[in-house]
Amino acid sequence: MSAARRLSLIRLALTLAFGAFAIWLPFRLDAGDRSLYTLMGLYAIVAVGLSLLMGFAGQISLGQGAFFALGAYTTGILIVGLDPDERLIDPGAGISPLLAVVLAPFFTAGVAAVIGVPLLRLRGHYLAFASLALHLILLAVLFAEDRFTGGQDPGLLVIERLEVFGRTVTGATLTAVVWGVLLVTLLLALNLVGSRAGRALRAIATSERTAAAAGVNVATYKLRLFVLAAGLAGLSGAFYVFLLQFLSPDAFPLFLSIQFVVMVAVGGLGSIYGAVLGAVAITWLENRLRDLGAQPELLGFELPDQAPQVFSIGVFAVILIVVILFFPRGLLPGIGELWRRVQARRPGSASVGSDPGRGLTP
Amino acid sequence: MTKFIQLVVVGVSIGSAFGLVGIGMVLIFRTTSIVNFAQGAFAVLGGLFMVSLVDDVHGLVAGTVAVILTALIGGVMGMVAVGFRNRTTALASLIITLGLALLVSSLNLLAFGDRPHTYPTIFERAWNIGGVFVQPQYAILVGVTLVAAFGLTVGLQRTIAGQALVACADSRRAAELVGINVRAVAVIAFAVSAGLSALGWVLLTPVDPVNYDSDVRIAVNGFAAAAFGGLVSIRLALVGGLALGILQQLVVGYAPGQARQYELAAALVVLLVLIGYRSRHEAHE
Repeated sequence: MSAARRLSLIRLALTLAFGAFAIWLPFRLDAGDRSLYTLMGLYAIVAVGLSLLMGFAGQISLGQGAFFALGAYTTGILIVGLDPDERLIDPGAGISPLLAVVLAPFFTAGVAAVIGVPLLRLRGHYLAFASLALHLILLAVLFAEDRFTGGQDPGLLVIERLEVFGRTVTGATLTAVVWGVLLVTLLLALNLVGSRAGRALRAIATSERTAAAAGVNVATYKLRLFVLAAGLAGLSGAFYVFLLQFLSPDAFPLFLSIQFVVMVAVGGLGSIYGAVLGAVAITWLENRLRDLGAQPELLGFELPDQAPQVFSIGVFAVILIVVILFFPRGLLPGIGELWRRVQARRPGSASVGSDPGRGLTP
Repeated sequence: MTKFIQLVVVGVSIGSAFGLVGIGMVLIFRTTSIVNFAQGAFAVLGGLFMVSLVDDVHGLVAGTVAVILTALIGGVMGMVAVGFRNRTTALASLIITLGLALLVSSLNLLAFGDRPHTYPTIFERAWNIGGVFVQPQYAILVGVTLVAAFGLTVGLQRTIAGQALVACADSRRAAELVGINVRAVAVIAFAVSAGLSALGWVLLTPVDPVNYDSDVRIAVNGFAAAAFGGLVSIRLALVGGLALGILQQLVVGYAPGQARQYELAAALVVLLVLIGYRSRHEAHE
């Protein structure tokens, strides 16, 4: 057995062990912590997709929050079965929650495929702005088309629970299912990166021209990554419905899309484990900042009402600027690289292969 | 008909301000190949500075100070956004400007709170032209925009300094080899376009109040305007800005009921269609 193969088997075993722990953990958490933990898992699913897109296609989507919202609303509307004429719930039209969760990511991915075709042929800034525009358009639709979405008031109430083989999935079980889905996503993403398609992606990440010259269809691969990332965001959004049970456009602010980019920037562009760590870290930080800002005063200063927002926007802004300036491949890989450099200075040490993603480096 | 003309008049003034933002983006893109997300933040800063100064000093002084302050902030942002040679790509710079825009909006939220700000127009009366009201401020805004667009076009194409600025975007390395300081160029480009955007909302705030988070709407509109000309044509960016301004006013004025909320969405759909169209023609940009 070669060393590389042994290493990858050890990695797989560790991933599965951590995954099992992560799935078991919610049964030991109290309700408040569990809700935060569920959110971490949901955001991590989105972050894995975005990390692949940013790391391998070199494209930035500022609209993953829109796909997340699209997944959530598709699921919610399919379950509730709205009657457009009466603005009322039409129980006859609703479908089973499980089916809705399965359908929603495909719908989201389909939307991404339609808008991705023209966008991904152009340079990165067009996708960045267009995906941002998509989020703004979606928010406008969610507000205005309240016959379908419930708008801001009364919103969309989804009291139905997810049911799998006659078992109701709520509370800790829901959290465990979310982390289970994340584990499957993670394994599939790792498999993708290691497969033939993964080699093509890595070639694209190194040099698009070289990859194209070697017969890799760069545009198609980029489009597939974009659709995959959108589908994952939609899947995550579909599960979000059962955590929130009440959808309103306010739950999907533009800032959410930017938060996903921060998660990937922290975890490392193209790094799959990093995306999960970034999502967990940023979700935790956001929660801490919210608590910190909600206090009446901090270090002797009186805090204004909008302090929670100021803190999270300001802190994430600084993280984004500092990370992209000094660690363009992401914070965790950047720190790892620094560590390796320190190690390499010691005599007798060998350097380890670096992360496959190119990030935003030239 | 009067209603239509009135809407177009307001649309032209708002569109001019979008045009100024778009021209600023074109200027920065042509000189540094950075697409500046913080362009909307400059507009908001201009508007908010103006609002906080206009009660204490003469409008002209307040406007000048607001524009100069924003230009200085813009210069500093340019210095940061350009990043490091061989390490910061244009797309990385875009994310940095996104971070800078967020930072500005969080500070604005802290300093100015979460509500739209405006100030009463400096001029006491509007001109009434056959039932259509035209604020003198609109006329000034349109005039300023035209002068800025013309000046920049000529400046970039006909002067040595302008050609030096444009050279940087083609190849950062080559520009540095012939002795052009790329960071200094970025500082100048950002400062000038920050001043332009600020000027737009110094004049427009009485009709278009600014909030701490207005920058996203303004940046997206500015990008859409700039995208009309493929991010390189100042003239087309101006045309794009005017078209977007008029379109949005017509949506507000004529769309029935709920559809009025699609003011911004209408412009964004135009943006998406436009990008789709461009991608057919310049797939290998």
